[in-house]
This record gives sequence, structure tokens and C-alpha cells, in this order.
Amino acid sequence: MADATKFNRREILQKGLSLGLIAGGAVILGRPAFLSAKEKPAVIPDLVAVKNGEPDALFKKAIELAGGMNQFVKKGQTVVVKPNIGFPRVPEVGATTNPLLIKTIIESCWAAGARRVYVFDNVVTPTSGNARNCYKLSGIEEAAKSARGIIVPVDDFSYRTVKIPGGKTLKTADVHSLILDCDVFINVPVLKHHSSAHLSIAMKNLMGIVKNRMEYHLTGLDQCIADFCLYRRPDLNVVDAYRVLMSRGPAGPGNPRAADVQMKKTLLISKDIVAVDAAAARIFGKDPEDIGYIKIAHAQKTGNMNLKELKIVTYTM
Amino acid sequence: MTLVKIRKVISGIIFVLFVLLFLGPEKWSVFLSDVIAPFQFVPSLVQTATAPSGLFMAGFIFIVLMTLIFGRVYCSFLCPLGTLQDLIIAGSRRLGLLPGHAFAGPHNGLRYALLASTAAAAVIGSLSLVSLLDPYSLAGRFFSHFLQPLVVGAYNLGIAALKPFDVYWYPKQTAFVPLSVLAATAAFFLLILYLAATRGRLYCNTVCPVGTFLGLVARFSVFQLTVNPKACSECVRCENVCKAGCIDSHNAFVDMSRCIGCLNCLDACSQSAIRYRRRQRQPHAGAWSPSRRGFVMGGIAAAAALLALNTKLRAWIDIRRAQAEPPVTPPGSRDIAHFTRACTACSLCVSVCPTQVLTPAFMDFGASGLMQPKMNYEKSFCDYECSLCSRVCPTGALASLSLEEKKLTQIGEAELLENICVVYVDHNNCGACGEVCPTHAIRFADKKNILYPEIDRQYCIGCGACQLACPTAPRSIVVHANPVHKKAEKYISPETTVGQKKPADDEFPF
Repeated sequence: MADATKFNRREILQKGLSLGLIAGGAVILGRPAFLSAKEKPAVIPDLVAVKNGEPDALFKKAIELAGGMNQFVKKGQTVVVKPNIGFPRVPEVGATTNPLLIKTIIESCWAAGARRVYVFDNVVTPTSGNARNCYKLSGIEEAAKSARGIIVPVDDFSYRTVKIPGGKTLKTADVHSLILDCDVFINVPVLKHHSSAHLSIAMKNLMGIVKNRMEYHLTGLDQCIADFCLYRRPDLNVVDAYRVLMSRGPAGPGNPRAADVQMKKTLLISKDIVAVDAAAARIFGKDPEDIGYIKIAHAQKTGNMNLKELKIVTYTM
Repeated sequence: MTLVKIRKVISGIIFVLFVLLFLGPEKWSVFLSDVIAPFQFVPSLVQTATAPSGLFMAGFIFIVLMTLIFGRVYCSFLCPLGTLQDLIIAGSRRLGLLPGHAFAGPHNGLRYALLASTAAAAVIGSLSLVSLLDPYSLAGRFFSHFLQPLVVGAYNLGIAALKPFDVYWYPKQTAFVPLSVLAATAAFFLLILYLAATRGRLYCNTVCPVGTFLGLVARFSVFQLTVNPKACSECVRCENVCKAGCIDSHNAFVDMSRCIGCLNCLDACSQSAIRYRRRQRQPHAGAWSPSRRGFVMGGIAAAAALLALNTKLRAWIDIRRAQAEPPVTPPGSRDIAHFTRACTACSLCVSVCPTQVLTPAFMDFGASGLMQPKMNYEKSFCDYECSLCSRVCPTGALASLSLEEKKLTQIGEAELLENICVVYVDHNNCGACGEVCPTHAIRFADKKNILYPEIDRQYCIGCGACQLACPTAPRSIVVHANPVHKKAEKYISPETTVGQKKPADDEFPF
């Protein structure tokens, strides 16, 4: 057991500030429920990183270190779990979120008293004959069903247009109504190489809840990815870095034996989508400074990419 | 069980199998295309002529033999368009629109002219008339362009109604069919609906080249339906049920060239005066007139003349084809010339394509191929993990490809237009094309953290995913057809580090 907790004065200040921000944000969003949670741990970390375990054990430990699922999901709430199911690939390729992780998260939501748990992703159309290929091959359909999650397939009619406050390039987005109508939005990306964005992690995963993703590509991928976070940040980001696709992302090769994957067996949890992306980039072996959208989102005050300023709890199983 | 009931059961089963072939699950389509397509006249003939295979040759021989023995039973037992007309006729009779059938003279000029020109056009390499008139292809287009959208629409409405109850099913999609093709299909459907509802099987005996050809064979069939004038009371019951209108009971004559072998007359005759008998040597006076012989000879002469002009006409067709940028043909078609000379536009591939990338193109293939399908990359893309179209094609226009073969079949090549690509113009990351490229033909050069797409054409198979994904208008990456398909190189990843770099440490990089 190596419980390494890093801490300093500046971080406490930073944390106080961000807590204030989150509280303010929560009040504005009309969801201040979590502020009044009773069994809060002494200090809620900004980011939790756990490694060297199986996906289910990693999540259970991480959520415990983050203060428990009750911090994020309250009784009677509707939850959307958003994995990355963008490509018709088996889990061994590392292009999609680990199905066991999704199953564990859904079970954890039920345990916290959720009323409904949906699983949704908008698949990347020109790669899969139909969405079902992606949902099935990834193992997520089966995993979600076994945990009584409701799998929602893509269709063209469930999107509503929203304005992005302060969006520099992305002014509006067509967002899936499940996301707009839910109480808790849990973003569960997989960390992987990405041919045109360097890395696909948490912020990039949010392209799977909008319909106008082509606008992102057309007008500047990095700016748009960062801009969307001005509209809504997930209530919780869980980054799956268990099996990491190191090249040929985002799709990876169809044949898992040709996939260049590394078993990092790591999981990251944070409310701060920029911090979690920065930490994941480090795990991948890249400098967050080199990832366009992380830099922009940091500059737009969506979150903090300077990991040294954050209170990070790490744990090795 | 009477013969008519047996006929109804068999033709009903075959009709249902055809509906399943077009609208059923993928596996059923593949299975059924091997089982029922060889017993369709035009597919078996075209496949035998262009890409011979044992099963289809056997099917063709079976059809001709059956016709030589019993006459045109094909038209009542096997032909899906025949059964469709029978259904319309039954409905029409029930509604009282068609009180009964009656003998009518043949339209010999029209039917032999249509047969001769269809055959001649096919010989010089254009299947346009076959595509337009062949009953199998026509029925296929009805299933594909009308029935499928109806069924899928109803299904999608049904699942939409379940959504409020948190029951989510996967929606289905139908292929895009251009208005011109829809109009042509609709025109033929209305024509057949009208003819069947008012005149019985007039289409089969006047327009259908398959019916006319089999009619020529049926003249010499071993067994012929004959009226025994001594037993006949001229009650006209047989005429009344004869959908082909080929029984002249007053003259105790059955025109076997037009008899569709429905066997209704056998059931209807209370005196058993009408029966299958061995063909008599003395043909009926009206059956083989000199004028008709002249016409048939004329038709044959015309066909021969066309054949003689063959090269010139073909050149004309090919010039037409070469003028515009040729469309991309589906995997398995080998080359555009083979494809256009073997596809009868039945739209089976259009129906089964899981990505709906196949679009029946009205005139894109020029005069030689009306309504033949092309890869429509503005609407969809070809799924890397699929070779379904090549496995269901009943005419041999698409040779069956295994998935491994298909993955290396280069049907076209992508071209990147750097003068309009947003990455090259705006220096912003886009990369939509590379994300979806299944063969790693599109790679990126990193310059100051901006990723510029580059194409390595040897790996490109022309699937069109990049073109569909490209967000610019017009597209900055487009697929150009390979008039003759090529073999692509297989991409072998230089990274063979699977499982080698194992981070056995307990450290976090932050």
C-alpha cells in the first residue's frame, strides 16, 4: 500500500478557489445538492489517479478516494454514462472504453440511488456500417445490459441546439437530449492516440454527444473542443487508461493483434476536465502544452492544466 | 389438393423467399441469393454468359427444360413479378374491377420487336432494355425502392413510439434512390398494376422479353394444353379463368406461346376437356403465320446486323462512358466494362448494403447501363468489414469476394486537394479523413503540433470514408474510380511493440 498524497499551500488556495467556482457553478446550474452532502471526506482531491489493477477494482478504489459515488450521484437522479464507443472495435484494440469499467460505474450509480442510468455515444459514422456494430463489438452493449443500464442507440431526431456562452469558434451545438435532460453526466473516455488531435481523452470524448461534429473539423478542432466545455462540463470524468492505444488512433486497426497497445492499467478521476486531460497526457507520455485543446481550455479557464497546482491523490494497487 | 393450389403454394413460398432475399437479414440474403437466384431466367442467363458457374448454368438448363416439357410454367411458379401480378389480379377480381378473362389475340409485332431489340442490345453490350423489362429485375426494384422504405419506415415509427417507455431499439435506414430512378420504377409499377388489374397477364405476353422467349420455346413443348373439341361444351369457364387470355374455346385452341402455365383451366373445366397432351405434329392454322415468321426473321436479321456493327456501337457506348468521370463501381465488379455488361439493375445489392452507399444511378453509366448501382460517396461510404454486395449479386456483375480479398480491392483512389483542405489553408487541426481511413492510407505530418494529412495511395482501397467525413464543401478529398480495379498493398504496422513495453513501475508522471 503506497498512499502518496501530495499537498502544498498554494494548492489549498487553488482548491478553495475552485471549490468556490464549482459551488457557484452548481448553484447557477440549479443543482447544489452535492454541496450539502453530509459524509464529505476531510479534503476532496482535485484528481485521483490509481494504477496497477483491473478496471473494476481501479474504479472502486478511485471513487472511494474521490469521496465516494454519493458525491456525484444522489438518490433518484438520472445519470448518463458516456463512454467512447466511436469505432467498431473489440476492447483489445484500446479504441473504446473498457466494458468492465462501464459496468462497474453503472452498478456504482445504482448503489448511490440513481433512478435511471443511460449509456450513450454518437458513433463516428464513416467507420461503422451501423451504430450497432460499435455498441456490440466494444462489449459495452452487453456490459451495460448486464448492469441494467439503458443502452440508447443513435438517431437523428434526439438533438437540440444550444448556445455556447463565450464560444470563440463554436457558437452553437446540437446536443443529445439525454445529456441536456439528465441530472448527472459522467464522462468515461478512453485515453488513446488520435491522428488529428494528438490525443483523445475527456474533452475530445464530448464530441460524441453533439451532432455537428463536422463543424468542429471544419472550423478548427482544438478551439471547438475547448469551446464546448464552456457550455457544459461533465459532473465527473473517469479516464480509462487501462489499455492505451499508442498509435493509429482514434480507430486503431481492426485486428487487435496489430494494435499498438500498452497496458498502463491506470484510471483517473476528476471533476476538472482540463486537469484530467493534462494528467492523462502525461500518462501517455506527452506534454499537455503540446495538445492544442488542453492549452486553449486552460486559457479559457475551463480548468487547470498545471498539475503542480492541484491536489492529486495517487494510489498504486 | 388441386394443381392450382399446389401452384399457389409453391409460387407463394418463392415470392416470400424473394421478399426475404431483398428485405431479410444479411445471412438470409446471402443464402437465398444462392438458392433462388439461379432459377431466375435473366440472372442465370447473364451469369452463364459473363461469369459461368455450375449452379447458374444448371438453373438455366432447368428453366429451359421445364419449358420444353410443360410450357411456360416458369411464369406462374418461379417468376416473382408473375406472382405479384397474380396477387394484383386476385385483388382486382375480388374488388370486381376484373369480372373475368377472355380470349384476346396476341400483339406479335410488339412482343417480338421488344424481344429482338432487348436481345440485340444485350449482345452489343447494353443491358438497358433487359434492366427495364426483365421481370426479376423489375420485381427487385419494386422490393428495393418501394417495399423496403415502407417496411423500414413502419419499423422506425414503431421504435420511435417505444422511446418514451425507455425501450430503445436501433433504427434502420434505407438506400438513397434518385428521383429519376424512382420515377422509372414507379412508372413500371403503375403500368403493371394497371395491366394486371384490367387485362390479366398482358405484360407477360406483350412486354416481357423472358415471357416471349419462353413462349417461342413453349411452342415446341412436349406436353401442351389442348382442348378436346368433342368433350368441350363451350361453357367458357376456362377462358374466364385464363389470366393470359390465350384460350380460344370456340376454336378449341390454346396458344402455348402465351400460356403462362397457371393451370387454372384444368381446374375450371368440368368436362376435363382441356388437358396436357403430347404435342401433335399438325400445328394449328393460326399459330405460325408467314407474317410472324417474317417478323421473327427480321428481328434475327436486325440482331445480326447490330452484331456486325458491334465494335462501332460499343465504341460509341464507351465514348459516352469515358466523357464524364466514370462512377466508382462496387467491389467485385472487376472493371466497369464487365460490370455494365452484366448488371441488370435488380437493386439487390442496393437493398442489402448495410451502409446504403450503393445508389442506382439513372444515366451515370451512359447508354449501356440504366439504373445500375454506383458507389455514392456523397451519401455514405463502403464498410471495410463487409463484402455483402459481391456475395449476393445474382448476375455475376459482382464476383463474390471474401472479406480478405475485398479489403485489398482498390475500386478507386483518393485524391487530397491541398488548395481547399482546411488544415493546409487555415493551419488548424481537422483530420476527419484520417480518423476514418480503415487502411492507414492517410497519415499525418506533424508541423508545429498541427497535423497535415497525406495520402499513401498504395494502401487506399477507395472506400470513400474520407470523402464522406470531409467537412469542406466541395470536399477536399475525393475518390476517383479505377475503371479496372486494382489490388492495394496491405499496411503492415511498423510498431510491433505489443506487450513489450511493460510499465512495471509504480510511478505516476505527475
